[in-house]
Amino acid sequence: MRKRISHGARSAMFAPLEQTGRVEAVTRRLVDAITLGLLADEEQLPSEAELAGQFGVSTVTVREALVALRQQGLVETRRGRTGGSFVRAPRDRAAASWRKRLRTLTLTDLRDLGDHYLAVAGAAARMAAERSSAEDVERLELATEDLRGATGTEASRAERHFHLEVAAAAQSPRLTHQEVRLQGELGALLWLPTGDAGTHADAHAEHCAITEAIAQADGELARRLTEEHILAAIDRLAELHLGLLEP
Amino acid sequence: MKDTRTLVGDDVADHVSALVEGVFTGLDPVLSQADALFAGADRSGVRAEQLERLRPEVLRTLGGHDGLVVGAGFIAAPNVLADQEFGFEWWTRTDGGRPTQLFISLDPASDHFLDYTRQSWFTVPRDTGHRHITGPYVDYLCTDEYTMTFTVPVRANGAFAGVVGADVFVREFEHLLQPRLRGLPGRAALVNAQGRVIVSNSARQPTGSLVRALDIPAWWGSGAEPVAEPGTTLRRCGDAPIALLVSGNRS
Repeated sequence: MRKRISHGARSAMFAPLEQTGRVEAVTRRLVDAITLGLLADEEQLPSEAELAGQFGVSTVTVREALVALRQQGLVETRRGRTGGSFVRAPRDRAAASWRKRLRTLTLTDLRDLGDHYLAVAGAAARMAAERSSAEDVERLELATEDLRGATGTEASRAERHFHLEVAAAAQSPRLTHQEVRLQGELGALLWLPTGDAGTHADAHAEHCAITEAIAQADGELARRLTEEHILAAIDRLAELHLGLLEP
Repeated sequence: MKDTRTLVGDDVADHVSALVEGVFTGLDPVLSQADALFAGADRSGVRAEQLERLRPEVLRTLGGHDGLVVGAGFIAAPNVLADQEFGFEWWTRTDGGRPTQLFISLDPASDHFLDYTRQSWFTVPRDTGHRHITGPYVDYLCTDEYTMTFTVPVRANGAFAGVVGADVFVREFEHLLQPRLRGLPGRAALVNAQGRVIVSNSARQPTGSLVRALDIPAWWGSGAEPVAEPGTTLRRCGDAPIALLVSGNRS
């Protein structure tokens, strides 16, 4: 596939590195907060100076992040006495349905779903360690690398694909079916494209460790690492859910 | 081919070889049709919709071998088709039902896209230029079952253009071969080149497990010459990438 590079991406490519990282990090945080509904539609954002203070970055960085958000249509800036930056919640149905699902979910159900997923994915990881040939390990390594530097939907797809490959490496069609089913039920939420670079970097390191344990045929380690990886995602989801409930 | 007639399990090895050759032979008409399609294309190349011309041969392959073949078709290499990056003509038939065409997402930007160019049934024929049997493996792209996929490379204008292939369920393979394995003295298993058990006559060595007592990948890599030692014989089944391992007592 030929990749087209937009003008925006082009100029970002040549911006000083550290600044790029910070602008992107601030942008991602705000995109998350808006798409997940943590910031409500029409809500006024704090001033540039306040945001800069909260994020611990310069006002220039915040200003650039707001430009990016305006370009994505997630923020509207009004001038005048009642002016400022206002949230424009995305109208796209996918984001709206996540918000709805996250809000309506109870921690009780979340824990139960999490337990089920933990049982399936943990067992799959242990069996994958017992049964993976060199060829399977190679495919797991490729799937692991997909998450390196990935963000947004690309990252959530890489997450789901990695766990699918582990279930397949376990040589179990039934566990693979369960994995696919649970991904359908939970995965879209569990691996939400939150765009948080820190989370994805951790997840990449975790996938690397799981793959290594499978390559070493260490079933117990592969299972434990997988369970920890999923528990962390469940916890994050519980936090997001609680955040949405706040008045 | 070497004379291996002094080893235990000749009958099984011959039978496996014949089964495998039968599946590959069944793909010949699809392969010829694919060659003809690419050879007959105008300068702009083959368009995705033209893959329909492979359909009659694909469906005939699917109907053959007493129902052993449950999926068959052609899968294009990326950017070989004139009008789209990925493409295939693949049909499946399960539970004796009517053939159905396989549709999976071909849009790399889609959330549900799974890159088939990483699958062994694609990469091995591409990289070696030879036919290949992938599996047993969980085929999450197509059958959703424990499967073996037989593929043969297709070439057009001197370059790799994709594969023609056939899917066989591992359980059907077992139905056909278990009675013969049961007839062997001791513990017997058919294993692939990675040492993965396809069918075995022992509960201790189940389908899908790896044989670890012997380094089968290394044995395979160094020519797969028959091994006959006290308590163990290991030999290839004809030209198939499948070996028969017979050891000691069944337990």
